Amino acid sequence: MPRVCLEQVSKSFTGGTVAVDELSLEIADGEFMILVGSSGCGKTTALRMVAGLEKPTSGAIRIGERVVNDVSARDRDIAMVFQNYALYPHMTVARNLAYPLRQRRMPRREIDRRVREVAEMLSLEELLKRRPAQLSGGQRQRVAMGRALVREPEVFLLDEPLSNLDAKLRIQMRAELKRLHARLGITTIYVTHDQVEAMTLGDRLAVISDGKLQQLGDPQEVYDHPANVFVAGFIGSPPMNLLRGRAVDGRVAAGDFVIERPDLPDGELIVGIRPEALTPADGAGPSLDFDVAVVEPLGNELIVHGSVNADIASSPEAGEAALLTRGAARAEVVACLSPRERPAEGSTIRLGVDPAEVHLFDADTGLAIR
Amino acid sequence: MVLDAPPEKRRRLPFSPWHLLLAPVAAIMIVPLIWMAVLSLETKTEASSFPPVFLPSGLHFSNYSSAWHAVPFGDFFLNSAAYSLATVAGNLLFCSLAAYAFARIRFFGRNVLFVVLLATLMVPFQVLLIPTFLIVKKLGMVDSVGGLIVPNLCTAFGIFMLRQFFRTLPIELEEAARLDGTSRLGILFKIVLPLSLPALATLAIIQFMWSWNDFLWPLIIINTDTHAPLQLGLSTLQGSHNTEWNLLMAGTVMSQIPMLAVFLLAQRWFIRSIAFTGIK
Amino acid sequence: MADRHRPPAIKRLIGSEHFAGWAFVAPAVILIAIFFLIPIGWSLLISLQANNLIAPAHYVGLANYKALTKDPAFRSAIGHTLLYTVIFVPVSVGGALALAVALNRKIRGIRFYRLAVFVPLVTSTVATGLVFLWLLDPTFGFVNYLLHAVGLPQQQFLQDPNEALYCIVAMTVWGWLGFDVIVYLAALQGVPEELLEAAEIDGASKWSRFRSIVVPLLGPATLFLVVWSTINALQLFDEIYVTTRGGPLGSTTVIVYYLYQQAFQFFNGGYGSAIAYVLFLAILVVTLVQLWVGRRRVYYTS
Repeated sequence: MPRVCLEQVSKSFTGGTVAVDELSLEIADGEFMILVGSSGCGKTTALRMVAGLEKPTSGAIRIGERVVNDVSARDRDIAMVFQNYALYPHMTVARNLAYPLRQRRMPRREIDRRVREVAEMLSLEELLKRRPAQLSGGQRQRVAMGRALVREPEVFLLDEPLSNLDAKLRIQMRAELKRLHARLGITTIYVTHDQVEAMTLGDRLAVISDGKLQQLGDPQEVYDHPANVFVAGFIGSPPMNLLRGRAVDGRVAAGDFVIERPDLPDGELIVGIRPEALTPADGAGPSLDFDVAVVEPLGNELIVHGSVNADIASSPEAGEAALLTRGAARAEVVACLSPRERPAEGSTIRLGVDPAEVHLFDADTGLAIR
Repeated sequence: MVLDAPPEKRRRLPFSPWHLLLAPVAAIMIVPLIWMAVLSLETKTEASSFPPVFLPSGLHFSNYSSAWHAVPFGDFFLNSAAYSLATVAGNLLFCSLAAYAFARIRFFGRNVLFVVLLATLMVPFQVLLIPTFLIVKKLGMVDSVGGLIVPNLCTAFGIFMLRQFFRTLPIELEEAARLDGTSRLGILFKIVLPLSLPALATLAIIQFMWSWNDFLWPLIIINTDTHAPLQLGLSTLQGSHNTEWNLLMAGTVMSQIPMLAVFLLAQRWFIRSIAFTGIK
Repeated sequence: MADRHRPPAIKRLIGSEHFAGWAFVAPAVILIAIFFLIPIGWSLLISLQANNLIAPAHYVGLANYKALTKDPAFRSAIGHTLLYTVIFVPVSVGGALALAVALNRKIRGIRFYRLAVFVPLVTSTVATGLVFLWLLDPTFGFVNYLLHAVGLPQQQFLQDPNEALYCIVAMTVWGWLGFDVIVYLAALQGVPEELLEAAEIDGASKWSRFRSIVVPLLGPATLFLVVWSTINALQLFDEIYVTTRGGPLGSTTVIVYYLYQQAFQFFNGGYGSAIAYVLFLAILVVTLVQLWVGRRRVYYTS
């Protein structure tokens, strides 16, 4: 299996929109790479350039050692699963699975063998004679996977393959995808906007916004140490609370909330606290008053919406401009609490935070301060 | 959409009042055709007597064989079939190729070319009549079935219609096929065309009907009876036997039966095709 | 970007989208160029020539067009064509609307009624002409028999210069009605039920619902049919050729029939081409005017 390399790849469309902006990324041999970002961030365009469905405006794409910019999609030995599966409606499941092999003029016997093998691997044996219209969403998804896998491609691309499935099937298919990758070890690029898929599926995670790479790393690493405000606000659900803060004399304050950071120079900061880092205060350590507005019990946890006495630094999800505007005097904050700690709506509780779990970002650049 | 109110309690008529409009209209529409058939079975005297004879003295099917032998009807049929089938095949092939390129391939000059093709739709055939005649003459195809066919092998209408249809197909199917190793031509023939059968059927029906019933172009370029298609042949029969209404009608019935049969068998497709041209 | 693996220029050209696109459109473009584009220009050229379609032609400038303006036969051909169009279009489109509304309900025998209305559509123009020639025959025709039966005077129909053109209208309406009805029926299926229900709740009567909702929503179909029928009417030929050959006394000589006579009977190719270009211009103007009207008056549902 080859590695896939994007070297300062840009793509702009007629009309001037820049979908991908000097993106550099290396996907190692056999790696499962996740591209995550909100819709329109350029992740799908990046994937389509690897597939050969779009031509980069500048930069180079390598598969193995070969630069493939001028190699047509059909000669790249790449398989792709589309968001809406793109099964050929006029062919049976068996014909769909066999199609890529027939196009490569493979001997009949070999085609039959591989189709049977893939059908077995994905439990499609019963469905071989049906047409796509007669299949459920989950079945279609598996056929689409099968059609991509049957070729034993060098690189496997998936464009939000699970987004059209219901929640239960999605969990099932996630596990299945992981198992398949472990078994086949194909270099895989997976595009998603789903938090859970991003965290659970891949070896590494590439967070993309505005066509640029924001952070690249092991999913846990990205979660624990977001490189900038965008990643902090994007990875994690519910998203990280971001408050306006100020460092003065070795202390960082956001409203009532104060932590000691003697190493920092004075200046404006953004203070990030994950909802799950907020716990009922036990007296020691930094804490803040939290006015409970709405409690959403999820069974295993509570999502508590409320406000604290601080300025909000809105998540960059709402746009860069909003980041630096002064918000209201009280900031909306979300906390995840244990069901045993259920507060009354309308009450005020004191929540504490482990100082190690507080993320600090430069107010001007948005970059993390370690 | 149905405008019918729920059944009223007190009705003035034992049937829907719409029958009062529809029954006479239906009669006007269908009586000429029935008369055509009746007349074709009468004797020459019966066919030209007044008052008209509604029930012929016998079924004189011999009119049909007389008409068949009075003019080369067999040739007319073959010529019409060749004219219709060849133009249908040509349109399906050439329009598909061009329409696919206009729908999906980004090539230099595409938009200008497409507008030029669309503009030809505005030009009435009569404007082209004289130069087309001269071109076909240069090609040495005057007075031949080939001369009928060649100018009608590809129409801008067909390109336009198929392009509109192709653009409604999900593009992911074609992208998937590309990744699966299919060439452009392969995508057209293995993916796009199998999914476009309704549009292809519409184009085929419209072109078939047009060629089968075409009169002006054959009138211009065909001089020899044995090279004439049916409609022109029918007018030849009229010229030579214009007092023998029974013969003339027998010929007319014969010339209309293929089209009528196709219509009755594929009525739904015909209606869909025509509705399609109107909606676009 | 330096890269040693770039394929040679020729190969890249052949593999490019531009090459593929032109290869795909080439057969169609060649055919349409030869049989549509070149004839359009050539026709204009011929209209500026004295051209008998056989001997070498010579340039005469606008002489053919000037002659047209002074040609009483051409003027009356225009008159006949306009008269025909002005009657044919409203009768066929209006009749089709009424008929489509009637055919768009679930009453007994509706399938038969529809079939009866659609069948003439597949009857060729030549066959239509021949059948009507008999139906309208002055001595033993069926229509005169009907007139006789109800005590009305016998008519000459196609042989009477005052009636012939109206007879042509009748036979062409008969042949075309099915087309218009199908288009209207399809459009009627597209009128959303909820709109009519909303209007019914608002207290609109059946007739006012039809007039204020259905008819405006049929606007695009009506516009299409009016344009289509007008263009067809201006090009009337087949039925004239089969029934009257422009007579009696030239009363049914329409533009295209006159063109045919000039070009292919009298071999005045230049003159014929000039007539064709005048027709082209008329069709262009009619189309543009009607589309302009349509843009201002027609409501589209999207």
